[in-house]
Amino acid sequence: MSTTERNPVLAVRGLEVSFGPAPAVRGVDFSIAPGEILALVGESGSGKSVTARAVLGLLPATAAVRGSAKLKDRELVGAGEEELREVRGRGIAMVFQEPATALNPVHTIGWQLSAVLRAHRKATRAEARAEAVRLLELVGLPAASVVKYPHQLSGGQKQRVVIALALANEPSLIIADEPTTALDVTVQAEILALLRDLRDRLGTAILLITHNMGVVADLADRVAVMRRGELVEQAEVGDLFARPSHTYTRELLAAVPRLGHRDPASYSAESTTDALRLAEIVVRFKDFTAVDHVGLRIGHGEVLGLVGESGSGKSTIGRVAAGLLRPASGTVSVFGGDPVAARRDLGFVFQDAGGSLNPRMTVADCVGEPLRVHKVARGEEYRRRVAELLDAVKLPASYARRRPRELSGGQRQRVGIARALALGPRLVIADEPTSALDVSVQAAVLDLVTGLQRDLGFACLFISHDLAVVDSVAHRVVVLWQGKVVEEGAHHEVLRAPREEYTRRLVSSVPDLDRAFARV
Amino acid sequence: MTRYLLRRAPSALIVLWLASVLIFLVIRAIPGDAAAVLAGADAPPEVVAAIRHDLGLDLPVVSQYLHWLGGLFTGDLGRSYLIGGDIADLVGAGLGNTLTLTLAALVIAVLVALLLGPLWAATRNRWVDRALTAFHTAAVALPTFVTGVVLIIVCGVWFRVLPTGGVPPKGMFDRLDITAQYLVLPAVCLALPVAGVLTGFLAETLRAELRQDYITTVTAAGVRRREVVVRHALRGALPVVVTTLGLQTGSLLGGAVLVESIFSWPGLGLLVEQGITRRDYPVVQVLLILSVAVFVLVQLLTDVVHAYLDPRVRLGGKA
Repeated sequence: MSTTERNPVLAVRGLEVSFGPAPAVRGVDFSIAPGEILALVGESGSGKSVTARAVLGLLPATAAVRGSAKLKDRELVGAGEEELREVRGRGIAMVFQEPATALNPVHTIGWQLSAVLRAHRKATRAEARAEAVRLLELVGLPAASVVKYPHQLSGGQKQRVVIALALANEPSLIIADEPTTALDVTVQAEILALLRDLRDRLGTAILLITHNMGVVADLADRVAVMRRGELVEQAEVGDLFARPSHTYTRELLAAVPRLGHRDPASYSAESTTDALRLAEIVVRFKDFTAVDHVGLRIGHGEVLGLVGESGSGKSTIGRVAAGLLRPASGTVSVFGGDPVAARRDLGFVFQDAGGSLNPRMTVADCVGEPLRVHKVARGEEYRRRVAELLDAVKLPASYARRRPRELSGGQRQRVGIARALALGPRLVIADEPTSALDVSVQAAVLDLVTGLQRDLGFACLFISHDLAVVDSVAHRVVVLWQGKVVEEGAHHEVLRAPREEYTRRLVSSVPDLDRAFARV
Repeated sequence: MTRYLLRRAPSALIVLWLASVLIFLVIRAIPGDAAAVLAGADAPPEVVAAIRHDLGLDLPVVSQYLHWLGGLFTGDLGRSYLIGGDIADLVGAGLGNTLTLTLAALVIAVLVALLLGPLWAATRNRWVDRALTAFHTAAVALPTFVTGVVLIIVCGVWFRVLPTGGVPPKGMFDRLDITAQYLVLPAVCLALPVAGVLTGFLAETLRAELRQDYITTVTAAGVRRREVVVRHALRGALPVVVTTLGLQTGSLLGGAVLVESIFSWPGLGLLVEQGITRRDYPVVQVLLILSVAVFVLVQLLTDVVHAYLDPRVRLGGKA
């Protein structure tokens, strides 16, 4: 994009943001040409969202912003409230991460679109309504959506509405802050296609903020990598993937789990009994059948990946296997018995490690709690076991006295894993254990889980929506869709050469890093 | 909506019935004998017994209760022991005045809250914030009999701009401007605590609402701050406010008793006061059950309005 330097839509120079004494963003420079898609990539806390919000003056009053951000010839840093308001929506619009909360629950879609349209131009009620319908059609929603309330739409539809809101006043730049992070992978593919199509048709430039390298590969023209408030590298997307110049970029790329990059791992049954066996499981919530005659088995020491999109019933199956939920019909057997009786042999790892740890307990207390509850160790023996567990998950012994809030997300998940392993379980149920983590942290945690599984030999039900993650840890994979098993088999067969239509769609929706490499 | 009402109706009726039992029993548990009061201090026991028989007070409590309950359904509210006359007539005379007063107070409280609540939530000016905090504290903390007396001294004695008590001489509907003059002081006095509570609640709910993601969405789309607060956030805060308003009805009804007595407003409050001081059980009983009925009705109404305001409740789905 050689036009970038000549006539940029947005030019950011020496941007600095600080909350109190600590700078959150330091000396950030970048510019975006008309119709260009620039991805701002980084892990949590890298300052990418703060940068975007600083441009639009959307940071809280405690933030001090210095430097320059120019929309064409208009300086935005230090601009007055009314001047910023004129730019918001008309010069630069925003698309947010969480469509479930980005829309007002008590107003219709049409009302919200009209309100935004009329923020920048005079229009009668009827004109605004007609324009709202046109916008909805532009983002691929039926005109009838105009009278719907947000709770009557799916997540993907809601995100389309949020994009329509952003397009309402024909901005020259859209800032999309993690626009697909909250969405299922097939829906994500649709939204990415929509953004690309809108750029092509309307010539709108897009500043894409994301932590997901796959999304970057799929959509971006150029990439700027942020780390700890600084821009460490900027390059065309193909160049960045092929020849990352900064060490951090290389680490980041190496940490991204990719489909089909692990040698096929096979599992040979060591005994005839199963660690977990579910047969003809049915779970209903009122009129909704969440799990519909599902059967699956996990051998001793086997890792079974359970994949599916939201609402597919994968977490419900996890709860049934753990004995936390009684199915309406079907049988559950853990080591040949009832899951409640086998509780000492079960370990759980949850998605939200922070929420699953008691904030008032120390790390050592959290990890040791199962030992105390089941009265398996006390005194010196107890302290030794806790130290061993912390060591097993590679946490320094000094962390034992800390509280959960003093740890990072990855460290908290390590504590969660240590607690799950406290009683030496023979079956571990892990529900989205790495979904809340940054990619480099995720890689480390996955490494840890695989290593521990190999050493300790426990069986594992690994639940995830992320196909690449599952591909990197599981022996076998079960694909769920709307409460039913769609496909089942060895991980490299199911995820690389799927036989069923749904699995094929799922696999092809995964944004592909390898395609970005191929673009070079 | 009709189905919703039908579903809620049985529980409302049960509440009313339980209240009637409770009121009946509590009144009888209070020390003091109406017959003795009526007969006078020096009356001989036979006279007291005759009066007791005359009033039906010598019947078993259960049959007294059933007789009273039956009367409530047929509109025969009984006779007052001491004030004199049919209770239905007494209540009928005061009801109009009390309704006028409480409705005026309600309107004032809601208007004040709708004006000051959003201002308090959205202001970035430290002085506006302090002034509103002071107003809120004073309105909630000052008892009606203090504000009432202050209002009378300021507006009726020092400045002599408004009448300090009574009702318009030619009735409520003769000249509305004169009615308004008589109504202002008692209505403001009654409205103040409710206005304070409502303003506080509205401001707090709005502040929470203004932190929601959808507010960032419209702000980022360039919608004006005032419009963000009034058209977007306020709508989300209303259900909570309506519920609070329903709960404040009790405070209005209780306040009316004091306010009517301070401003000599001949409404039900005055009747309650007379009934209590003179141990006129039948009057107090009827007024209590009436206020419970109003309360239950208002609760039912706020639930319906709440459902109407929230499309997630109205159209089904998760709230």
